[in-house]
Amino acid sequence: MVRKELVAASAEPLILALLDRGESYGYAIIQEIKARSGGKLQWTDGMLYPVLHRMEHRGLIKARWGESETGRKRKYYSLKQDGKRAMEQHHEQWSLVHDVLSGLRKEQYV
Amino acid sequence: MSSGRWFMTFCPACERSNMFDREQAIVQWRQQMLAAGISSPVPLEELEAHLREDIEQQVRAGTEASRAFEMGVRHIGEAVELKEEFQKTGNATRMFLRKLRGSLLGAGEIPLPALDDFEPAARRTLELAPEEARHFNHAFVGTEHILLGLMRSESKSLSNVMRRLGVGSAAVRLEIEQIVTAGTGAVGSTTIPFTPRARRALRLAAQEAKSLSERQVSAEQVFLGLLREGGGVAAMVLKKLGVRAESVRAEILKETKARRGAG
Repeated sequence: MVRKELVAASAEPLILALLDRGESYGYAIIQEIKARSGGKLQWTDGMLYPVLHRMEHRGLIKARWGESETGRKRKYYSLKQDGKRAMEQHHEQWSLVHDVLSGLRKEQYV
Repeated sequence: MSSGRWFMTFCPACERSNMFDREQAIVQWRQQMLAAGISSPVPLEELEAHLREDIEQQVRAGTEASRAFEMGVRHIGEAVELKEEFQKTGNATRMFLRKLRGSLLGAGEIPLPALDDFEPAARRTLELAPEEARHFNHAFVGTEHILLGLMRSESKSLSNVMRRLGVGSAAVRLEIEQIVTAGTGAVGSTTIPFTPRARRALRLAAQEAKSLSERQVSAEQVFLGLLREGGGVAAMVLKKLGVRAESVRAEILKETKARRGAG
């Protein structure tokens, strides 16, 4: 299981990257992340929504009410221009951390 | 109040009696969320949509409904913690603007009919409803509070209708008190907003009056509006007591005729 702090820090870049593939809604976002991380990235479901609302408030994403296939209400989120930019920034920073970390590890074994 | 405490008392009982009512369970969960300060419609509607989706998926995968509900509630998390997270969302300016708009427009998107559109007994009900909400430490006026207000409004015509339907006001109060849990902290002196369901119920009541070309909404039409709204605590209680919208409407017509005949 991934540590709580890392889960929290990675929520925004993951949501941005996921919405970049097309609009989605809370339940599907959680399922997707769970599946892609083999269940190791676990969010408390309810906690996703405050994160989404904060991102909406900051103008990174926008929301609209729609309907599910069975006619239930569903709130869909999609990426805005600022969200795309934020995603690029996140990507650069996380890649940097990743590169430094893997560089150090490689040197240990050379 | 934590969401953990109540499903410990609520769910095992319904599993034992083998009568799990998903809708009732969700209504109670909503109550808990509202009482903890998660506001409606946003974000509560969204959380409810999530809970329903989760339950549905679990049931499809073969989980028993009551168990799926219990797990779904656990997945969503504690109301108190969620409230803290949601509070981080808005900055001060936004909160101020929301409050300002709230006081100008009356908070929600569904407008309330004007107070003048209600007959005196119905108007009295709308004044009593927030009192009932405060009594439960609820920071919202829901359909259950309006129904309790109606029971105290001393409307002659409503008590006629209820008597003919065989529903006692004591039974109504008892049923509500069995479902609704009181909040923990006293509600301040600010105006308490009506929930979207309560607003919808009042609009339906106004619609009933309009369909009879009546100038004002009567207490019994508010009663019918609560029932027709369908998803609130009031509707649930009335349905449980065997009250049906068609019979209420028929009784109201009789009452109206008697009144017009007399007047």
